[in-house]
Amino acid sequence: MKDLPQTVFVVDDDDAVRDSLRMLLKSAGVHAETCASAQDFFSIYDASQPGCLVLDVRMPGMSGLEMQHELNLRGLTMPVIFITGHGDIPMAVEAMQHGAFDFLQKPFRDQELLDRVQRALVRDTENRARLRHTDRIRERLASLSPREREVLDLVTQGKANKMVAGDLGVSQRTVEIHRAHVMQKMEAGSLAELVRMMMAVAPSP
Amino acid sequence: MRCNARAEMAATNDNGSGLNGDRGPSRERTIIVAGQSSERTREVLRALSKFANVIWPTSLESALAQTSSQDAGCLVIADDLREEPIDEFLQEARELQRSLPIFVITDPDDVAEAVSAMRHGATAVIEIPPSYAALCEEVSRAMQ
Repeated sequence: MKDLPQTVFVVDDDDAVRDSLRMLLKSAGVHAETCASAQDFFSIYDASQPGCLVLDVRMPGMSGLEMQHELNLRGLTMPVIFITGHGDIPMAVEAMQHGAFDFLQKPFRDQELLDRVQRALVRDTENRARLRHTDRIRERLASLSPREREVLDLVTQGKANKMVAGDLGVSQRTVEIHRAHVMQKMEAGSLAELVRMMMAVAPSP
Repeated sequence: MRCNARAEMAATNDNGSGLNGDRGPSRERTIIVAGQSSERTREVLRALSKFANVIWPTSLESALAQTSSQDAGCLVIADDLREEPIDEFLQEARELQRSLPIFVITDPDDVAEAVSAMRHGATAVIEIPPSYAALCEEVSRAMQ
């Protein structure tokens, strides 16, 4: 399947700002979509669409910070660049604490925004590659039988086959067979690789 | 270095209470202040010594060394360090202690600096002059 092109979504209630940003991004060869409100954005956005978001902080209806909260609730990890003419430190801190990629005060130089957009697009590519990787690991994990999963959990805790056999009340030979199946299904070349896979899908502390 | 910094301890707590009053002891936790800070900020930071050890290491290196200690509760980067490479210092501190709360006290309205500090690992940025209540709330929440 061909990858979708990266798109910069500009969400700002000011027509002039939307038009000027669209022109600026177009001049830099970046595809842009503009929305006048958060509601407009959510009505057209498809999570499979890679890119980033340039978001005005102050908008009627759902504000930029509320929209960021909604994006987080929906598990959308697209990098967000906030732009505002009325920013202050508490606002910027709140946005950054909630995962904003950047926070830019108006007026800004065109190049400043373009640089940040380019970095945000790189970040999105990296995020999506990481997500694809963890999705593949989860698919492989789902293919394990309950017993294989138990063996996996114990060996990645550093337990030797003999200890795993003792914990599960089975023979060491049975553990060896399950372990071989685990390595095959997980497509792991070594125990270290298996441990890395489990760390990649472990919930964040 | 750690012993030196301990000797520099500016204030200690005698009542053994936590930052949240009765909600848990943090007597053994240390608030490390990097930089000497302006007088108004210093007054606010001194007030925190009712709840935890507050120390002012004499150098950034010493402050970094303190962040590695087990009793480090949080790091406060004071407002007199504007000429220093704060972002580098933040990154180093963050690498030493991934979960250590780090607060940066900065000029009011310097949004760009606040954003940069957040990007480099600050937990929060507080404007000068910091209010005792605001700082106490941030530090208390972070050290829980």
